[in-house]
Amino acid sequence: MWKFWRNPEFVRHKRAELRPARALMVAVVVVFIAALIGLACWSERQEMLETAQRNAQRLGGQWVPYAEKVRRENPRETWLLLCRWLVGLQAGLVPFWSMFMCAQAVSGERDRRTWDFQRTTSLTAAEITLGKVLGEPILGYFAALCVLPITIWAGVAGGISFWSLLAGYVGLFAGALFLGLSGLWLSTMLESRSRGVGLIGALFVFCLMMGTYAFAASWFPGLAGFSPVAGLHSILGIKLVEAREVTPMLFGHEVPWVLVSLLLYASFGAWITIMILRNLKRDYSELRPLSRWQVVGCVAFLNFMFYALFSRNGEVVKSDELASFMVAVNGAILFLVGLGSLTPLERLKVWWRERAEGTANMFSENGLPWPWLLLSGVVAYAFMVWDILAWRMALDFHSRSLRTAALELLVVLIFITRDILFIQWCTLTRLRQPVLKGVLFLCLYYATAGVVIAISSISGEAAAVSAMNLLTPFGIFDPRSEWGHSAISTYGGMALQVGLIAMILVAISNRLGRPSLVPAVSEG
Amino acid sequence: MRGRRALGPSRRLLQRRQRILYLLIELIHLRKEYDDLVAVQDLNLSIPQGEIFGLIGPNGAGKTTTIRMACGLLAPTTGRALVNGIDVSEEPERAQQLLGYLSDFFALYDDLKVWEYLDYFAHAYKMNESEIPARVSEAIAQVSLEVKRDAMIRGLSRGMKQRLGIARSIIHRPKLLLLDEPASGLDPKARLELRNLLRSLRDQGSTILISSHILTELEGFCTSIGIMEKGRMVRSGRIEEVTAAENLARDMRISWLGDASGALEEKLRGHADVSNLQLSTGDATFQFAGSDEEMAALLASLVSAGVRVKTFAEVKQTVEDLYMRLSRHEVM
Ligand SMILES: Nc1ncnc2c1ncn2[C@@H]1O[C@H](COP(=O)(O)OP(=O)(O)OP(=O)(O)O)[C@@H](O)[C@H]1O
Ligand SMILES: [Mg+2]
Repeated sequence: MWKFWRNPEFVRHKRAELRPARALMVAVVVVFIAALIGLACWSERQEMLETAQRNAQRLGGQWVPYAEKVRRENPRETWLLLCRWLVGLQAGLVPFWSMFMCAQAVSGERDRRTWDFQRTTSLTAAEITLGKVLGEPILGYFAALCVLPITIWAGVAGGISFWSLLAGYVGLFAGALFLGLSGLWLSTMLESRSRGVGLIGALFVFCLMMGTYAFAASWFPGLAGFSPVAGLHSILGIKLVEAREVTPMLFGHEVPWVLVSLLLYASFGAWITIMILRNLKRDYSELRPLSRWQVVGCVAFLNFMFYALFSRNGEVVKSDELASFMVAVNGAILFLVGLGSLTPLERLKVWWRERAEGTANMFSENGLPWPWLLLSGVVAYAFMVWDILAWRMALDFHSRSLRTAALELLVVLIFITRDILFIQWCTLTRLRQPVLKGVLFLCLYYATAGVVIAISSISGEAAAVSAMNLLTPFGIFDPRSEWGHSAISTYGGMALQVGLIAMILVAISNRLGRPSLVPAVSEG
Repeated sequence: MRGRRALGPSRRLLQRRQRILYLLIELIHLRKEYDDLVAVQDLNLSIPQGEIFGLIGPNGAGKTTTIRMACGLLAPTTGRALVNGIDVSEEPERAQQLLGYLSDFFALYDDLKVWEYLDYFAHAYKMNESEIPARVSEAIAQVSLEVKRDAMIRGLSRGMKQRLGIARSIIHRPKLLLLDEPASGLDPKARLELRNLLRSLRDQGSTILISSHILTELEGFCTSIGIMEKGRMVRSGRIEEVTAAENLARDMRISWLGDASGALEEKLRGHADVSNLQLSTGDATFQFAGSDEEMAALLASLVSAGVRVKTFAEVKQTVEDLYMRLSRHEVM
């Protein structure tokens, strides 16, 4: 299995994409472009040198030693500039290409109707994944391989140590693999019709990954390690945060960027791999990203990562601010895993029948997602308490913050349960792309709620806060909302949402109770 | 079920083993729902080794759905599919090694050469590395694509692609072939070759399940048939058995000389076993539900009534007739 060069899927891509004529052309073009960049670097440095020398002749003084310095360092600096350009280009292009190609891998094959054949071979999901992740972007990897010697040469000649170049490349390659995996996962989740959506999604995820280096200035600087740029910033000679160096923290200890990147890629990649392996050989209608226990595990894992990567970044952090922040992030996490644990109609109906017969219960794998969502919420809270207590010494700690966080999380959980059940109900209607449409309906709902809040704010702040508490989970994050005048609307909002959840559940059971049809057959 | 439970454990094991060896494919209470539509319901089917099984039925009967469940592409809503005793949804890779599948609509990897394509699937089915090159050549020869061996697939014609698809599905010498409309796009000569190829595969011990609309294609070539309708298997079994079971009402044709229609009509209409009488000048068709003995007696009575019978024969049933009668609920 690990001999990837003998993996049939990899060999297929290698044969199709790297026919000798094409490979030669790519190599020539890549080397030519590298040479052009080299020339540009050389001319830039040359111009700098000439300006310095001209100034030294004309003005003398301190220009003379400066010109001498520039002249002495000129070859090294030229190589360094070339190396930076090449590394920068590769850091942008290779991961992008990897994601771009993998994001169309499965959906493209579904589209071209070659996928069924591949699914009926004895290749396991793991073998197909390996072959695709390495094989789909093979042209990009090949091009990178062609510039590799030039880059290393330029880097070493430019004074960068071979080992830091190697570490940079390892991080870069791992990033490309991780993005390839993410792309592959995206493409398994997309039906062929939505290829355009897939590409937009891929682009979005890519930008998100590149943009994660903004986390460098947050409480979790390690998350910046997702960006391939983070591991390369010293080679590239850039600073992640203006005016200061940031080092990522792991369990409160400083670690090198490459290590954090590898850790993130490996751990998050493992989850993505689980999702791919579970689903790759299934039919589109039967996709289920995670099993019930995996959902709970995933929530626990993500909360654990927050614990592992926390860093004060030199500030004073209040425990209730941190708790509110983690509740908000957990809201997003719970929503996403909730989406991942929706049950397809076919399975839901089987569950419904089994439940009528008494062979299945609320927690069954094929049941509705909400019991597991609640369990995930409890797990998230437990981890949150643990995180905050574990970091107690580093925080401005108040025990009140844990209680507040519990209430906040409860409100958020109720709203998310309502939203997920609503989307589950959408999947039972005859809508096409029900999940996407359900999410859009929710966006519409929150936009409407925003308008209502804005209108009610005309009659005073209290009315606006009440509207916000009744209609959205955001009001709870207002520090004044726990006690006093808005408590009533907070609890009122919770009651309202629980009522709505009950209504959705009734609608779902009505839908599931409907009898099936026998197909109308055309006379053949 | 209850009877089997009463058997002793060793006996049961033996029976089970025998059944596994004998039945290459077994579909047990298979059911598939799409949204609110039940595409296949309570389908039971077992095909012994060495059969060529023709699956026929009108559009939308659920043939493709059944085949896709049998090869593990679709998970059944309930029920099980066993290939050579292996549960397809539990051990898909192991089951898939034993089966070759050709879907009704498919495409090939356009950017590969013909031999590379087959080589890919030979590896994907985990064949022995050393026997692959020879097997690829053999498969290419079996579908007469030798001249295109090194051609790019995107340059092949529709029929050639279909042939390559067939070669792909037999490349790993599967014990069970599941073919969904395999003859579409083939010219008459290639159809004949396909029949011969399938026959020779059968002779080598393969079991074949083939779905088709074109009934003449299956004529004289399938050893058993199954007729599906509205997601149910209406009839299945060896052709002789199915035909024999339906022979209760046989199609008869009679022709005579002179003008004897009056007497003839009176005799036939009066007979309890005769139905669907259709008269024209000089000949008639009808269905006869009686035994051979009674048929002979009817003929004798016609002759004795003065009808100058020229021919009196049973019309041999083709798969097509059988299908038309069954699918019009005539025998249900
Ligand atoms: N993916 C699907 N989603 C919803 N309904 C489907 C799907 N695939 C098939 N069906 C329905 O299931 C029924 C059986 O379809 P199937 O393709 O198995 O028929 P078939 O016997 O192969 O027909 P044909 O002879 O036209 O190939 C049809 O009523 C069809 O509309
Ligand atoms: Mg079909």
